Amino acid sequence: MAQIFDRSSNALARMGLVLTGLIVIALGVTLDQLQRSPWVTRQGQRAEQPVPFSHRHHVQGLGLQCQYCHTTVEKSSYAGIPPTRTCMNCHAQIWTNAALLEPVRQSWATGESIPWVKVHDLPDFVYFSHEIHVNKGIGCASCHGRVDKMPLMYAQNTLQMEWCLDCHRDPAKNLRPTSEIYNMAWESPTEDHPVWCAASDGKAGMPTAQSVNCTTRRPGPAGSAMASLELPASGANDLLSNVGAVVPVAAPAFQKFTSQQDLGKFLVVHYKIRAPKDLASCEVCHR
Amino acid sequence: MSSEMNAAMRNTTGRSPEGVVLSKDGELASAAADGASSRVGMNGGEPMTLEQVRRELNGAKGKRYWRSLDELADTPEFQAAVEQEFPSAAQEWIDPVSRRGFLRLMGASMALAGLAGCTKQPDEPIYPYVKAPEDLILGKPMYFATAHPFTTGAVPLLVKSDEFRPIKIDGNPEHAYNRGGSDPFSQGSLLDLYDPDRSQHVTYKGENREWEEFAESFRDKVVSTKDGTGIYFLSATIISPTLARQWQAVQKAWPKARLVQYDPAIAGTFLEKGLSVQYDLSKSDVIVSLDADFLSSASYPGFHKLVRDYAARRKEPEKGMNRLYTIESATTTTGMKAEHRLGLRASEVPAFAAALAEAVGVTGVNPPTYAWTADQQRFLAALAKDLKANAGKCAVLPGLYQPPVVAELALAINNALGNVGKTVFVSSEPAIPLPSDQLGDFKWLVADLNAGKVDWLVILNTNPIYNAPADLNFAGAFNKANIVAHLGSHYDETGQLSHWHIPAAHYLESWSDARAYDGTVSIVQPMIDPLYGGRSAHHVFQALLDDPLVGPYDAVRETWKSTIKGDFEFGWRKALHDGWIADTVPGVQAAASSAKTGAAAFRGEIPAPTPKDSVEIIFRPDPNVYDGRWANVGWLQELPKPITNLSWDNAAIVSGDTLTKWNLEEDDIVEISVGNGRVKAPVIVAPGHPDNAVTVYLGYGRQVGRVGGGAGFNAYLIRSTWAPLYATGAVRKMDGKWGVAITKSHYQDHRAKFLEGKGAGDNSLEADEALGPRGIIRYTTLDEFKANPNFAHEGDAHETPSRDTSLFPNWSYNEANAWAMSIDMNSCTGCNACIVSCYAENNIAVVGKQQVRVGRNMQWLRIDTYFEGDLAAPRAHFQPMACQHCENAPCEQVCPVGATVHSPEGLNVMVYNRCVGTRYCSNNCPYKVRRFNFLLFSDYETESLKLMRNPDVTVRSRGVMEKCSYCIQRISAAKIAADKENRNIRDGEIVTACQQACPAGAITFGNKNDKNSRVSKLREQPRSYQVIADINTRPRTTYVAEVLNPNQELEETPVEIAPAKG
Repeated sequence: MAQIFDRSSNALARMGLVLTGLIVIALGVTLDQLQRSPWVTRQGQRAEQPVPFSHRHHVQGLGLQCQYCHTTVEKSSYAGIPPTRTCMNCHAQIWTNAALLEPVRQSWATGESIPWVKVHDLPDFVYFSHEIHVNKGIGCASCHGRVDKMPLMYAQNTLQMEWCLDCHRDPAKNLRPTSEIYNMAWESPTEDHPVWCAASDGKAGMPTAQSVNCTTRRPGPAGSAMASLELPASGANDLLSNVGAVVPVAAPAFQKFTSQQDLGKFLVVHYKIRAPKDLASCEVCHR
Repeated sequence: MSSEMNAAMRNTTGRSPEGVVLSKDGELASAAADGASSRVGMNGGEPMTLEQVRRELNGAKGKRYWRSLDELADTPEFQAAVEQEFPSAAQEWIDPVSRRGFLRLMGASMALAGLAGCTKQPDEPIYPYVKAPEDLILGKPMYFATAHPFTTGAVPLLVKSDEFRPIKIDGNPEHAYNRGGSDPFSQGSLLDLYDPDRSQHVTYKGENREWEEFAESFRDKVVSTKDGTGIYFLSATIISPTLARQWQAVQKAWPKARLVQYDPAIAGTFLEKGLSVQYDLSKSDVIVSLDADFLSSASYPGFHKLVRDYAARRKEPEKGMNRLYTIESATTTTGMKAEHRLGLRASEVPAFAAALAEAVGVTGVNPPTYAWTADQQRFLAALAKDLKANAGKCAVLPGLYQPPVVAELALAINNALGNVGKTVFVSSEPAIPLPSDQLGDFKWLVADLNAGKVDWLVILNTNPIYNAPADLNFAGAFNKANIVAHLGSHYDETGQLSHWHIPAAHYLESWSDARAYDGTVSIVQPMIDPLYGGRSAHHVFQALLDDPLVGPYDAVRETWKSTIKGDFEFGWRKALHDGWIADTVPGVQAAASSAKTGAAAFRGEIPAPTPKDSVEIIFRPDPNVYDGRWANVGWLQELPKPITNLSWDNAAIVSGDTLTKWNLEEDDIVEISVGNGRVKAPVIVAPGHPDNAVTVYLGYGRQVGRVGGGAGFNAYLIRSTWAPLYATGAVRKMDGKWGVAITKSHYQDHRAKFLEGKGAGDNSLEADEALGPRGIIRYTTLDEFKANPNFAHEGDAHETPSRDTSLFPNWSYNEANAWAMSIDMNSCTGCNACIVSCYAENNIAVVGKQQVRVGRNMQWLRIDTYFEGDLAAPRAHFQPMACQHCENAPCEQVCPVGATVHSPEGLNVMVYNRCVGTRYCSNNCPYKVRRFNFLLFSDYETESLKLMRNPDVTVRSRGVMEKCSYCIQRISAAKIAADKENRNIRDGEIVTACQQACPAGAITFGNKNDKNSRVSKLREQPRSYQVIADINTRPRTTYVAEVLNPNQELEETPVEIAPAKG
């Protein structure tokens, strides 16, 4: 009886086994990549909106502050999408005939909402709160990216759980002074651009925003009031000594930070940021 | 019984041979010997003889607790049923599915599950406001004060509103009447607002019309009559002072128009006459209830304040506590909480009250001669003696569902004891603005209808086709009116037969006003625009007045123009903000003139009890759906009723002896007949129910409504004007079983035999552990407590094992916060308000009767009722049981996907999106507090229900386990608020939903690591204990053991029985 299988079958079988293994691995890698890909996360995708609203124009060009529209970002879990009225505050006067703004005028005339498409869309079982993040030193740009450079809005980050946990496990790397929350151009301190901070803890119940004073300019020893003064770099030393003599009250000591890690650690302490094990506990986001 | 208790307390193992037995048993057991052939059984299980029950109880040593008769009997079938976490009847498939079909289904669902993991979320739109409301912060709830206008007095409320949708109802914490307490009805009225079955259109003979058309034709008609001849109104009891004022104006303009008020739940009671007596139980050392169920629901006027004051005097026994005597017919929680309870048939109560009145020195009472038993006489004598000893410091409360003469007797007793002016106050204002004789008025209304005198009959917020007294043939008379208009929230039995139907606005949708039982006026302010353009009775009356377009808002303002002092606009806004109008509590009458009986002799006629062998039918409004108005509220339908734990049905409730005597089994169908009326009902047993009497709850047997339609039987069919409270009737056995849904035995399992290692497992978990070393229920008497404050911890296995016993790493939980709950067993009266509150707060699904029957009800919180002692005269202990948040949680160790884990602050948290539904956690939970979504129980489709959901809590889907979270959403909100301000969370800042609802203040929540918090102090009390802590679960929920204050004279002498030989 002739052999059913040729000698080459052995090699084919081995190859088949290896190939199967490779395919399984490839499939795994593909699925893994797929679920992190912008196709799933919508990272970087610009959704089609009823009005091609440009954050760049309004923020960078016109200098609108974030809270002019997103009014409840400090007070509530939702940052707030502006009502049509907010648009009409200006657009009743300017660009009153622009075709692009037709949906806004329609909305104003009919009382129907403008149907925006949600760009930063968390799953429904995630309970995110803007209020606690901006009050504890996470800037808008940390999550939303350089909105002032986005002509059309898109999600800078994946908003996936691993991305959330990345920060919840080590918040120090993203903390900034609360005075810089809405500063789109804020950069972490470096040797060239240090940050000075002074803590005025002591009184319990003082809101976070008041517990730490930070400045990107070399501060005077009298603390916050002096920190905002324009000090000529050359005469600074004289002035400092004078002021120091005049003001006997021990001003909060400013500390100089040249790296994000140091600043973050300082702010974690003074903003009373909860420990990573608290921040990464399930019930913080899921209930 | 105190020395017996002492013995029992010392003998906490409960199984040692030198135990004691309750002395009453012998007597009753012999009395019942003739009925030995009869059987008691529950649905599904093999029946057991009542004799067995008695034998069980006779042999019981020490304290013996049981939760249902089956448990007591301990049949093998019952044990087999409870052994299963998920009963065998719990079939997954309604139709048989072949293996191939099953695989195909599985394949499809696996494929879908796989795909679902990879698909992306759909685009979600955002619809911002066009003009945002001024003070709305999206995502932050707002709170508004209003009041729930209820028949027995308004319940002042604080309503949580999310984006102007009311999503949670709670008592107004600043209101002196209820101090934040609420009740199941008020809690459940939220679902009533969003009920998808509410009527949505004005209709005329089935065609859609507009309100204006109705108002016009109605007004034209009335104007054409010149004086209102032939215009009749049939209204629910008017409780709004404004509505009463509007009616008086209508009456003035159209003097021949007639108003009949009819509320089946108060018709024929002292309340319809407006008698308003207030009790101050905080000053009462002795409380006597003459069939007054003041601890179990808002059906009793003044419930919230009475419960709070009652509980306040029991929270710190070392500072003295009150003593409650209950004389009652139907078994209620008031009786079960009483130190001394006397079960009487309803018709015996007036005679007993008269005898009591005579015994405490009320003159002119002629109690009917009646053959009281020796026990009853002893009770009477001891009670009278105790009352006299506490004259001026006691209160006697009359039953609402007793003839009004009982209320007069109670007042006379209070007067004779000098309580009036001290603990009892007679209000100078009637409890309702227009007192009337409701049944008498209803009779002449029917007579006028039959005589053809009625041209227009306008029915306001009542449903007489369903609930009219059976003897009047109202449905027949109804057709003789020319035009019938019906204002009602639902297109109900009456609405469907009426010419005009007008959707009524819910109280959360319209302006009105009402008085709380203490007389304080609250403005009922709307929380939301009428969902379906509903109108209120204010609109109907106003349509007939000179200025028909004045809305309820202006009408209500008009009423209080002169009452609000100072600047009206300011006062008005303050009243809306506070939830009440200041200084509106009516004065009290002076003691001397207050009681009609004053110094003069009592002149009331006291009805004689019916013969002892006649069958008495006792009518009561249902503890859940009241008179039927909440029948379509799923939360209330599914709520297990106090004592019987029956849900989705009403039943003929009888005593065990009577069941035996009538040769019945539980769940048998009987026919109850009173006069010409007949209804078929399932029969169930309530421990302690009087013999030869049947309690039936009203409010079931509705024809309409997708929730309540078809549930139970309509007891109004056997209720007549001549006997609205109790009647003599007959009971006949019918064929078949009804199939009632009783939740009692769902949470038992059969580990007793493994744990104790003795016997053949002839004790269920409850019997074994409640009485045994583990002490699920621990209590003692006041004297014993004073002698031994540490009683709750004395016993073999009462204490938690040392921390090292665990296999798992020990967490120290030394964070700033460690959440804990303390439940005061002395205060809990088992009223169920907490459960309904939990429904609303946590978006809990309603599963329906069939699912409840197989043990799938989803309540996160249940109230375990442990009966103790004699079947005919038991005492009950109510134990709210929810997730205990064990520090060493057994459920967490067995979850294969980490869906239930521990938070650093000690919470046992559920991560729904991780849960794959293995149910291992539930199997491993010793407290049986986890609930599994076997099917898609949550309603994702109905639009109106979406408005009601709490946006801070996930709506759980099929295949997900869930359980009490200690209201984690409230904890998170408080943490964010505190963190923003860089401070610690204050004690009392976090209030769980159950705690908030509890009218008795039995539940306390807080941080146990804060030594000054209320919960820490409660935990440090010697009475504080943990349930089943001996298995090293280290629960965060603790219970404060009960202390009873019995009257020594009424304690039975314990009968020592010889130790068993061998």
